[in-house]
Order: sequence, then C-alpha cells, then structure tokens
Amino acid sequence: MNNTSWLAYIALTAAIVVVPPLLIGFIRKTKARLQNRVGAPYHQPLLDLIKLLSKGELVSEHASWVLRGAAIANVSIALLLAVTSPWIPGMPRPFDVDIFLFIYLFALMRFFSVLSALDTASPFGGFAAGRDLTLAVLVEPAVMLCLTALAVVAQTANLSEIFSFTGKALSVQAGLWVMAGCGLYLSSLVELSRMPADDPTTHLELTMVHEAMILENSGPNLALTEYATALKLLVLMGVSGQCFLHAFAAVWQTSPSMQTACGAGAVLLAVAVTALIEATGVKLRWTKLPEFIAYAITFGLLCLVVALGVVK
Amino acid sequence: MKLDIKTTVADTLTSDLDSWLTEKDGRRTGLLTSIDGSEVMLLLLDTQGGTAELWCAPVPDNSYTSLTLKFPQLHWFERVLWDLFGVVPLQHPRLKPVVIHEEYPQKFYPLRQTEWQDNGHNAVHDEHHFLEVHGAGVWELPVGPIHAGIIEPGHFRFSCLGENIVNLELRLGYVHRGVEKKITEVPWQKAHFVAEAAATDTACANALAHAIAVESLLDLEPPLAVQSLRTIALETERAAMHIADIGGMMTDIGMVGLAATMSRLRGSALNLAQALSGSRFFRAYIVPGGIAAYPTASALLQAQELVVSLKKSLRPVLTMFQENQAAISRMDGIGKLKRSLAAEFGFVGVAARACGVDYDARRHFPHGLYPLKAPPTVLETSGDILACTNVRIRELFASLDLIEELIGTSRFDGNSDRAVTSLPAKLPANKQSCAVVEAFRGELIHLLLTDEQGNIKRYAIKDPSLNNWTMISIMVRDNLIADFPLCNKSLALSYGGNDL
Repeated sequence: MNNTSWLAYIALTAAIVVVPPLLIGFIRKTKARLQNRVGAPYHQPLLDLIKLLSKGELVSEHASWVLRGAAIANVSIALLLAVTSPWIPGMPRPFDVDIFLFIYLFALMRFFSVLSALDTASPFGGFAAGRDLTLAVLVEPAVMLCLTALAVVAQTANLSEIFSFTGKALSVQAGLWVMAGCGLYLSSLVELSRMPADDPTTHLELTMVHEAMILENSGPNLALTEYATALKLLVLMGVSGQCFLHAFAAVWQTSPSMQTACGAGAVLLAVAVTALIEATGVKLRWTKLPEFIAYAITFGLLCLVVALGVVK
Repeated sequence: MKLDIKTTVADTLTSDLDSWLTEKDGRRTGLLTSIDGSEVMLLLLDTQGGTAELWCAPVPDNSYTSLTLKFPQLHWFERVLWDLFGVVPLQHPRLKPVVIHEEYPQKFYPLRQTEWQDNGHNAVHDEHHFLEVHGAGVWELPVGPIHAGIIEPGHFRFSCLGENIVNLELRLGYVHRGVEKKITEVPWQKAHFVAEAAATDTACANALAHAIAVESLLDLEPPLAVQSLRTIALETERAAMHIADIGGMMTDIGMVGLAATMSRLRGSALNLAQALSGSRFFRAYIVPGGIAAYPTASALLQAQELVVSLKKSLRPVLTMFQENQAAISRMDGIGKLKRSLAAEFGFVGVAARACGVDYDARRHFPHGLYPLKAPPTVLETSGDILACTNVRIRELFASLDLIEELIGTSRFDGNSDRAVTSLPAKLPANKQSCAVVEAFRGELIHLLLTDEQGNIKRYAIKDPSLNNWTMISIMVRDNLIADFPLCNKSLALSYGGNDL
C-alpha cells in the first residue's frame, strides 16, 4: 500500500466517524432556519453522542443481552456498509459489495432492530416493530428493482463498479440514473424513518415507527443506535445522491478528485432536500404510506423497463 | 344567576328528570353533585330561557338508583359523586373512581360532612380494573400517566386489533388538588384566587364564573364598561387558546413551520392580555364586584393595534393550513362523532358544535355582554376532527372581531364608574347561585351555596372537560392508533380541570 492510499483510508475513517452526526445536525439546522429559529449548532449531535456514551443506562428488567447485542451488531453492520458501499466517488474500499449484499445488510440491520425492540417486551416496541417490518416489505422491491436495473445495464452486480464512472453502457443513460435516483431516494426516506413516512421529531409515541422501536434504549446503547441510524443516513443519501450525479455526462469526464467533490455536494444536496421536505411537508397517514411507496416502486419498474430495452 | 332549591325524592328522580327534560326543547343537565353527602343535587339548565333550577333529593342511606341508566350524560358525574362523597349510585354500569386515586385511604370521601355509614351496598374503592377486551389478536397498549412532552398526567388504556383501536378507557385523577374544598375554607373575599386557579388555562373564564356567582348572590350588576372589559378578556383567552390548539394540530400533523408561527402568534394574544390587564393570563383581573383596574388610554391603543396585527398575521397562516390537501387528508373523516351520541352524552364546546350540537352558552346565559353581543354559533355537521378544527378557526376570528369591535366602541377613558364595587362583609345566608360561562373548551359552571353564617358552604365547579372526556373514547373507536394523538389534540381537554 502506498502513502496516498494510507492517507485516503485515514480520511475515510475520519469522514465515517464525524460526517454522519454532522449530517443530522445539518438537517436539524436547516429545519430550524426554515422555521425562523436559530437552531442548535451543526456539531450538536456529535456532542450528544459523546454525552450519551458517558451517561448511565436504565435498562428494562425484562431486557436481556439482546438489547446490547443488537445495538452493537447494528453499528457493526452500518460501519461495514459505510466502508464498502459507494456513497462517495473515488472512495478507497477494502473490498466490494454487490447489490444483493448491500440490500440484505440493511435487512440484517432491520432484523436486529426488531429483535431489540421486541426484547424489552414493551408494547411500543412491539407495534413499532410490526410497522417497521410492514414498511420494509413494501420498500424492498423498490430498492431491488432500481439497483437491479442499473446492474443489468452495467452487466455486473458489483455495486462499486456500477458507481465507478467507468462502464460505457451506463454513461449515456441519464434517464435511467435519474429514475433510479428517485426510486432510491423515496425508499431511503421510508427506510430512514424520515418524513413523510415517520416524523423523527415527534413526541407522539403512538404515531412513531423508528423512535418507538428505540424507546427503551438509553445511555451508551442509545448512542450506538443513534450512530447506526446516522451511518445509514450517510450511506442511503450518498447512494441516491450518486445516482443523480451519474446522470450528468460532464461529471463522467472530469478528474477523480473533482468527482469526489461533486459527490460530496450530491450527498449534502440530498440531505438538504430531506430537511426541506421535513420543514414544509406533512406526515402522511399510516394507511396512505403504501401509496407513497408505490411511487418508489413505479420508478423501480420504469428503471427495469429502460434497462431491458438497453440490453436487448 | 339566582337559584331556588326544589326538594324532590331520590326514588322518583329518574322519572321526574325525564319529564322535565322532554317537556321543552333546549333543556339539559348542568351538573350533578351533593352538598355534604346526605343528598343528591342536580343543576338543570333551560337554555331557551337562560334559566336554571336546582333539585335536591335526600339520600339517607347514602345510596340511590343510578340516573346513568337513563341519562348517559351523568355517568362521570355519578362516579365523581361517589369519589368525593361516598354516595353510591346503585346499578351504575361502570362505577369506578374518576378523581380519587386508589392510593388514597379506603373510604376517604373528601367532601363528605355527614357521617358515613356502611349500609351493605357500598362499593369499595379497590384496585382499578380496566375493561378487558378478549379475542384473537387483541392486544393492550398502556399510555401514560406520564407522557412525552410537558403536559398533564392521565392514563390511556387502549385495546387494539392490529392498528385499529377497539376500546379506549381513560383513567384520570392524578392531579386532584381539592379545589372545591379549598374554596370553602378560605375567606370568601379571597375565594376568587382559588377559583381562577381551578384550571389555569381557563383562568379568565373561571374568574368570570366565580364573579358572576358571587355578584348574583349580592344582587350586584357591574357597570357596562366592566362588562365590556370582561367580555374582551374572555374572548382574548379564547383566542389565545384556540391559536395554541390549532398550532397543536399543526405540530401533530408535522407542519413544523406553521406550528412555530402559531406559537409566536399565541404570544401576541398573550401580550394583548398583558396590555389590558397586566397579566398574560388575566390572573387576578376579573374579581367579584368588577375588574382590577380600567386600562389606560395608551394600553387600549396598544391592544387595538395588537388585535389588528394579530388578525392580519393569522389569515395567511391559517389559509395555508386549511388549503393544504395533505393536512386535510390527515383530518378528513378521522374521529367522527355522531350528533345523536354527542347530544346523548351531553358534550359541549367546539367538538360538540363540530357535529351539529347547537349549543354555545354565550347565546343562552348572561355573562359579560352576552347574550346581547354573542357571535352567531359556529356549526359544522360532519363531526370529524377537520370539522372541529374548522369550528375552532372560525370561532377564533369571531372572537378577534368582537374584541376589536368592543375596544373600538367602548368608552373607558374618563369613566366615572369605579372598576370594583366594594362588597359587603358578608354574603347572604342560606342562598345559592350559579354561573354558566362559555369557556374556550365549552360550558363552564360554577355553583355556590352559603350556610347560616353567610360563608360558602359548598362550591361546585363543572369544567367542560368533565362532560367531554368520554368523547375521546367514543370518537377513536375503530380509528387507527396512529390517529389518536390528532383526535386527542382536536378535543384539547383539561386534566386538571377534570380532576380539580
């Protein structure tokens, strides 16, 4: 390994540690500014994580080692996703993932979240786990369709290769990239429990999905869970942002460092749009959510139609 | 208003009440309570005539046949009667505590003055039993008494089938403070401080009801300027709380930007109260005999400007809210309440008017400049939370219009009338009076009885929440669990006002 790649790895590690909480801070700040409030500083979530790590824990008497185990497992999987999936172009990777591993690592995270929600035997955890799984079943086909379409055109299931600005076939498919980006972005909103699927700032336990699942976590456990969620935000916003970036032919032509810079901008933009939706939008009624997810699935189906047309 | 006591017999209460209620339109039960535990006392309201009657039926063996069987609107009143006095309504379908928690000692009846004797059919306060719903897939969800967010305590027990609510049972009583008892213990000249603190978000309405109850005992009629300022105060409180409640709906739907604006505008409404009275919540402003002080000319000018600017800033925000299709779809058809049920359970206030119950105490009972200046009753028919929100928004603007009109037309400067009429040292002995006020939540009743020495013997307060808590159980049935917070917010009920 030469010096440059060592530096790149150090930069990646630093980014993975610091950027996810900063993105959460960025969303909160943007939302606050849109409400004419000053808002907490961008790095507040980072400070919150440090504070939570140093706090004591209150664990339900019904909870077992699963509660802690699931939190650790989730952070590990989220870290794995963050170092291997192409959320930013030109990122050094220890090894590559393919689209199926990518999707099912998220599913594995969900499995552990549900386990930890059920472990405490709280009714909130129970119903939230049920809701989360219902949404997962609906969202999975959308993600699968979008990524498969890209894979079919690229003639490879390797996620890094698809997003590497190299494949000839993909460089001319701006429409496909935009549609895949839309499908993935809408699915990400649901997967990340953001508005309009779930309201991360609500205090109403009865309407929550993700927040009700983690209700029994406190102290370090909560810090791990929150950090895993922030990592998920980075990866999903990153991947859907990259899709839009690939639609611009100019980006394919520029230098790798320029591509990295544009990629960072794409992540920020995707997060900013999320904040905008949250500040101005309305949380959908639970029964309306399948309609919302149907848009993501429709984008996925359109992607597939285009992809099959290209391959033929 | 003044009242006469009519003594009746407990045995025939049901049939007497039935014939009284059906004899004429617009009659309703105001409240049911007791004086010292040896009788059942019923306050009956004739909304058409704007009058009231007080029936008193002795219950020598501290039990009587429950009226709830025939009049469902009395079911919480009878439970509270048992809680506070130990008088048992026999055959009551669901006799369990409302305001006295099981942690209190057994046979603790705080308002009972006569000796309590065990007559064999006294129900006992034992461990609280919730209604259990059995069946495949039915699960229970306990929420509270401590909630997320800074609100009062109350417990909700949901029985759910999947995401649907099958049954909701409430348990309150966590904030019982003994308000009614305290009022009888302090010198009557200072009772208004306690009365206005009965439910502090309704401070102004409670103070007004108390003032009217005392003044009608003393045959006192405050001057027009005072009446006008009292009306302005009551409407300002209504406007401020309606703004807060509409903002609450926006928060729960997730419209954070609009909600932030609404809380800022609620601040403006409170500033209006501050300009008029020196207190953002009109504390110690309305007192028996008048008001604390007339506002200065500059304060009135400031108030006038505040109302005009408040109206101007509210319009666009509420238009954005009412025209947002996503917001409408969150409220349309949710938490529907039938008009027949609302009438049967005696619901009051905004939510009752949203399902077509034509009752606004401002049009029926004298308080402030009402019924003379009462705005037209705002009615909707669909009974869902969208209708409820629309009623609230229209009432808000009607209130602001009225405040603007009254500040503009009333002449307070150079007023020769005194702000407070000095009151005699004693209240008349063995007399009773009551006041019915339309608080922002609905009909608020204060009932006052004096003893031989002219001291307050019994003081009963009926907060609109006591009527309306049942509504939440009815309206959420077969709705989604996730829609409960919106239903709850659209009713905006008081825990403290109920528990007293």
